[in-house]
Amino acid sequence: MNIKILDSWLREFVKTKATPQKIGELLSLSSVSVERIEKYNNDFTYDIEVTTNRPDLMSVVGIARETAVVLKQNGVDASFLPPKFIKPQTPKTDLIEIKNDPALVNRLCAVVMEIKMGESPKEIKERLETSGTRSLNNLIDVTNYVMKVTGHPTHVFDFDRLDTKTLTIREAKRGETIKTLDGKDYSLSGGEIVAANDKNEIVDLLGIMGLQNSVVTAKTKRILYFINNNQPTKIRKASMTLGIRTEAAVINEKNLDPELAYDALLYGIEMFEKIAEGKITSDIIDLYPNKIAKRSIEVSLGKINQIIGVNVDPEIVLQSLSGLGFKAQIVAGKIKVEVPSFRIGDVEIEEDVIEEIARIYGYHNLPSILPPQTAILAYKFADQFYFEQRVKNAMKYWGFTEIYSYSMVSQELFEGPLGEAVEIANPLSEELVYMRKTLVPSLLKVISENKNQENVKIFEIANIYNKRSKDLPEELMTFAGIIKKSKVTFFEVKGLLEQLCGDLGIKNLSFKTSEKSGNGASVYIEKEYLGEIEILDTNLIDFELNFALLIKHATLKKEYKPLNKFPPIIEDLSITVDTDVKTDELIANIQSQSNLITNVSLKDSYKDSRTFHINYQDPEKNLTNEEVSRVREKIISSLKDEFKASVR
Amino acid sequence: MEDELIDIKNTAISFILEAEDLESLEETKLQFLGRNGKLTLAIKNITKVPPEKRKEFGILANEVKQTIEDELETQKSRLKSQKITKSVEKIDVTNPGIKPPLGHLHLVTQAIEEITDIFGKIGFERVRYPEVEWDWYAFEALNFPADHPARDDWETFFIKGEPDPKRGPMLLTPHTSSGQIREMERLGKPPIRMLNIAKCYRRQSDISHAPMFHQFEGLVIDKDIAITHLKGTLDYFAKSFFGPERKARIRPYHFQFTEPSFEVDVTCGVCNGLGCKLCKEGWLEMGGAGMVHPNVLKAGGINPQKYTGFAFGWGVERVLMMREGLKIDDLRILYSNNLDFLAQF
Repeated sequence: MNIKILDSWLREFVKTKATPQKIGELLSLSSVSVERIEKYNNDFTYDIEVTTNRPDLMSVVGIARETAVVLKQNGVDASFLPPKFIKPQTPKTDLIEIKNDPALVNRLCAVVMEIKMGESPKEIKERLETSGTRSLNNLIDVTNYVMKVTGHPTHVFDFDRLDTKTLTIREAKRGETIKTLDGKDYSLSGGEIVAANDKNEIVDLLGIMGLQNSVVTAKTKRILYFINNNQPTKIRKASMTLGIRTEAAVINEKNLDPELAYDALLYGIEMFEKIAEGKITSDIIDLYPNKIAKRSIEVSLGKINQIIGVNVDPEIVLQSLSGLGFKAQIVAGKIKVEVPSFRIGDVEIEEDVIEEIARIYGYHNLPSILPPQTAILAYKFADQFYFEQRVKNAMKYWGFTEIYSYSMVSQELFEGPLGEAVEIANPLSEELVYMRKTLVPSLLKVISENKNQENVKIFEIANIYNKRSKDLPEELMTFAGIIKKSKVTFFEVKGLLEQLCGDLGIKNLSFKTSEKSGNGASVYIEKEYLGEIEILDTNLIDFELNFALLIKHATLKKEYKPLNKFPPIIEDLSITVDTDVKTDELIANIQSQSNLITNVSLKDSYKDSRTFHINYQDPEKNLTNEEVSRVREKIISSLKDEFKASVR
Repeated sequence: MEDELIDIKNTAISFILEAEDLESLEETKLQFLGRNGKLTLAIKNITKVPPEKRKEFGILANEVKQTIEDELETQKSRLKSQKITKSVEKIDVTNPGIKPPLGHLHLVTQAIEEITDIFGKIGFERVRYPEVEWDWYAFEALNFPADHPARDDWETFFIKGEPDPKRGPMLLTPHTSSGQIREMERLGKPPIRMLNIAKCYRRQSDISHAPMFHQFEGLVIDKDIAITHLKGTLDYFAKSFFGPERKARIRPYHFQFTEPSFEVDVTCGVCNGLGCKLCKEGWLEMGGAGMVHPNVLKAGGINPQKYTGFAFGWGVERVLMMREGLKIDDLRILYSNNLDFLAQF
């Protein structure tokens, strides 16, 4: 969340000669990030990012306190000028009773005032407008101004329009309706914090936005100035469900200091008196059921120095802590701090205190040191990431483009029964609902979205998600690719996978006619199922492999065989055989005829004829023609007996 | 006899110089140096030379043979290069080359490879942990309070199904920090030096957020790990990844799982830290970091009295954009897979 404040407004609470640029630079280094400093007439505005744990810094006073400490630590003169909150004299009359529910509201402060509705003075208007809040009238302006100064949202009702003796704080019931002050109708889902009048009509949506039936108008004469410190989770839920993200709601959903509520009441009363001729006509109501407990924390100097990495001066530590509102002292080598109420929400343990000390010391003042290696661990060169990168590079150099597509798919792209799907309960859109079980549909979508490209080679390596009972899904690293090219052949994809596996040191790769689809092949490493090649069309072939299995078998180990001293005899053998007979069966048969056969490959095939390229070699001597022809005869007769093949 | 040798030499040289191709050169070689070549035969006549002159004759014969061989070699290479020159003259070198295929790795892969390498050099071991994760690893063990906004339906994707009684609901991990506890469990005890790079998911989709993105998470746990070590590590990364002229800084921030917490900034590469429209007063936010919260160490079974650590988790896409100065209007183009876009990288 961001807060924008004028430099002159900041200087109402901090006295310094530092330039806005210096203030911005030092705040960024040690406190809040000043994202932008812009010139505004003779003034400057700071645009400051505040982290969600520090709602106390969504205020001019909070920023001023930090500014003073940070400037001083960096050798720039500065002093914090906190506002004085003085309790005014009030009549002893009670004009309204408030019934609180401590489960909903921690503290509730209110007072009735007579006022004169009108415009705010120029300075107030300017400070609000530059902070991003539109000036409306002096009454609304006071509530916004007080919020900016103190950090606690405040609210104002038209007291006469409330027209009630009691105001009851309760949870809304499902189906109750409201009209917010900007004229929008909402139906409540139940659980929102609301205030109801005697007739049980809702008159306020607490902590989020005022309602039209109780808002101040041009006719307003009396107001109920109302400050509520709420259960933050209730505010967050209501604000998100209703989609009303007012500045008040964003602040109220953080852990706000209830002590601030009373300060905000007093500061507001003074403002109404100043700019709206305000007069108090009731006693101050202050219901404070959930008082915050005090907290003190001890942290040893040794631990502070160990975590920061340098030795810090304890005196400077005490100074900066007290500047930040902590009561700090050194007791027996330890720093003991009492946490101020406005920091109870975020300073709980030793490390929180160390953070305060370290940031004010200045991270920019610390040296940069690489952490020492304290153990000697073996480095693994060829791990899964190495092989993943190796495969990706191979694919790149074979002309493929790598794709990253979403892990979530639409119902249309999800393959298989939806009951087996890992399904997102709160999807962002219908496009991203199911965790995919295959990558191919996502790749096909890429093909269809790039229609203008005639030749496409793409691949992706990503997880697929297989549902398991009562456990996280199996995340299986999967490798898929598609070739789109006119007259693409199955053998281009098969060859690709063979070369890839060869590069990964994988042997015993086999291809069998696919049992899944008519067109394509199932791929195995020995008996393990690796994946599928699918012929989708005459110009479209895809493959999808279990990448984890591929990596499991991948190795960089090579085996050395002594080179053969005697040259091979190479000859071709052409046979005619039924087309149903598989080439790998023929090769296996030929190979098995003699251990003189060192290699057999298919050289050519046409209709029912196939030509094999056969290497004969003896490691011990030169082969004679007689020896080769004996083997050849054996091959021919075996092929004839086994496959009814004849030599051409 | 000696005159005959000189004659043979001169004739041979003129034949060699006249040879117009490698074949006739080979013929000439045979004619003079072959088994029945002129020089070979002449040398055989050494028997007819008086014994006292034989030594002199022998030296001369060798010289002649050497000269002829040298000339043959010179002419041979001349003829060879002539042959090539003739064919080269027919080539238009401005015609297109025949290229081996070349595809493209996705930008994110390229960045991940580089990040892995940079951290590998200082001993970070790369790991990968589940994307579909238990609430325990993603939030509870990381010290997120039950009512933290990141745990509600608006920011994180949840998976349909009954929550686990111990580990809570199943979700898509919104950050690589869920790997912190997993790494502590895997190793059992420090030292830990993890680099976890993985897909993450958040319920956001606009020009600067894709619902799926990548983070890289560093985790170092050991005795006496200090803020100074975190500073050293990120300075090393910033200089390595963005260039030695870029500076990094840490400033206070807030995260549930670290204490103290930091936001890490790097000087803007466009204005060199002077301040411009793209940056915040000269700085670009890189991401979060901090000292591991003692509750997180405890949840991972590590004694926070004995060990301390730091962690950081940054977006891969984000550091890529910050470095390249890529003025991509919509981050989601990274996952839209327009092939013309991907072919640029």
